[in-house]
Amino acid sequence: MTRPATVGDSIVNWFMPVVPQARIAILRTVIYLFVIIDMHLIVRDPIPLSRQPELYSPLMVARLFHLPTPSPAITITLYVVLWVSCLVAAANRVPRLAGLVVAAAFTWWTSIGMGYGKVDHDHLALMVALWVLPTAGVVAGRWRDTEPSARAGWALKCIQIAVVSTYFLSAITKIRSGGWSVTSWPNSAILMWAIIRRPHGLGQYLMDYPMLLRGMQWMAFLAELTSLVVLWLRGRALLVAALFWLSFHVFTVAILYIHFAPTLVCWLAFAPLERCAPRVRRVVASRRERAGRGAARQPMPVGRDQAVDHRS
Amino acid sequence: MCCNQPVSTTSRPLNRWAIGWRIAATLLGIGLMVNGSVRMSDDVWPFGPMSQYAFSPADDATIVITRVEGQFVDGRRADLPLRVEVTGISRAEIEARIPQIQADPSLLRGVAQGWESRHPGGPALQTLWLVQDETHLVDGRKGPTRLVELASWTVPR
Repeated sequence: MTRPATVGDSIVNWFMPVVPQARIAILRTVIYLFVIIDMHLIVRDPIPLSRQPELYSPLMVARLFHLPTPSPAITITLYVVLWVSCLVAAANRVPRLAGLVVAAAFTWWTSIGMGYGKVDHDHLALMVALWVLPTAGVVAGRWRDTEPSARAGWALKCIQIAVVSTYFLSAITKIRSGGWSVTSWPNSAILMWAIIRRPHGLGQYLMDYPMLLRGMQWMAFLAELTSLVVLWLRGRALLVAALFWLSFHVFTVAILYIHFAPTLVCWLAFAPLERCAPRVRRVVASRRERAGRGAARQPMPVGRDQAVDHRS
Repeated sequence: MCCNQPVSTTSRPLNRWAIGWRIAATLLGIGLMVNGSVRMSDDVWPFGPMSQYAFSPADDATIVITRVEGQFVDGRRADLPLRVEVTGISRAEIEARIPQIQADPSLLRGVAQGWESRHPGGPALQTLWLVQDETHLVDGRKGPTRLVELASWTVPR
């Protein structure tokens, strides 16, 4: 006998939707490989910065955990630890341990990168992702695991909330900085200010059109303010919203050379990633067939620790 | 952890404790983010306010670009681009330390060392200046720009 669903059930189902585990396994691979890219292209300065300890002013997270003043020994160790743990975690091996090591090491690494006065705001969703991904536990079938899991669903939901919050809270901060005024930021000269500070590409051509810049500010502000809706969108509407925000970021790169790559990669938490794996397998299989190696009985090697009763 | 877990454990429904801590953690995280945005500063990263480009410059605002210029022993004076790969430090990091550098210009030593270690064989630096290009907006449009010197430091040899 099944009892009728209560409000409590629907709240739990919203926070912990049941999704195929492959989704989290694929997202892990992408996110952990992205961390390696991040520490070379985005938060890439902790090692050189650690040679200038006199300029360091620790953030609250560093004071809270009594993290020592960064030195080259510390930052180079973190760099090596991140390489190793990211590769292990990206392969979905020992996901809890490797994932927690990445989360702790990258939090420390980034807090050093932002501990010299300049704090960026594009890492919120990635930080949340790194701390929640390990909680989904072992995904035995990795990229091909169709087992439904609420653990995986919760981790994805947290990342989704963090992505959307990045936009929504930006709007809140803009309202706050204008003395809790809704119109002060969109009506300000902020984009002109930003373009003069970062004269780049398309931005320089827009300098002659202050009213156009103001119109763009209103659009961005209203989009951020209403971004929470994305959490309740599904199917095509969600796809349209994701494409809108993707083009928003392409645009900010074009006029200001400001990218939000760490937030962008976390948009994948909205995507039905498990559909990629069979597609990739089909492509790989057909290529092999064409290459005359179609006789191979096992297109994918079976890992030693793969579950034998895996259903696919 | 290294051992394989049977698939059945991953698909079993979450118990009350597992559901409880997850919902509590989510609410705590949302609370920290909102608190950070509404009343805290960058110090509480990653839960701080999204303050990049969040302020509202007026139509007659002054826009400053902070730079470091250096004079070499051969008499040449040039901009030392504040990028990690050129001087070992980025512009934002120098901007955040302007009062300290003005109080103690020898903090520019880091920029000099960063430059020289990345340009071995080039002429040595003799003097460094912390300067700003000040651009004034006029009715929301770009106006005139002038150079302001904030600090200078002669490299001890």
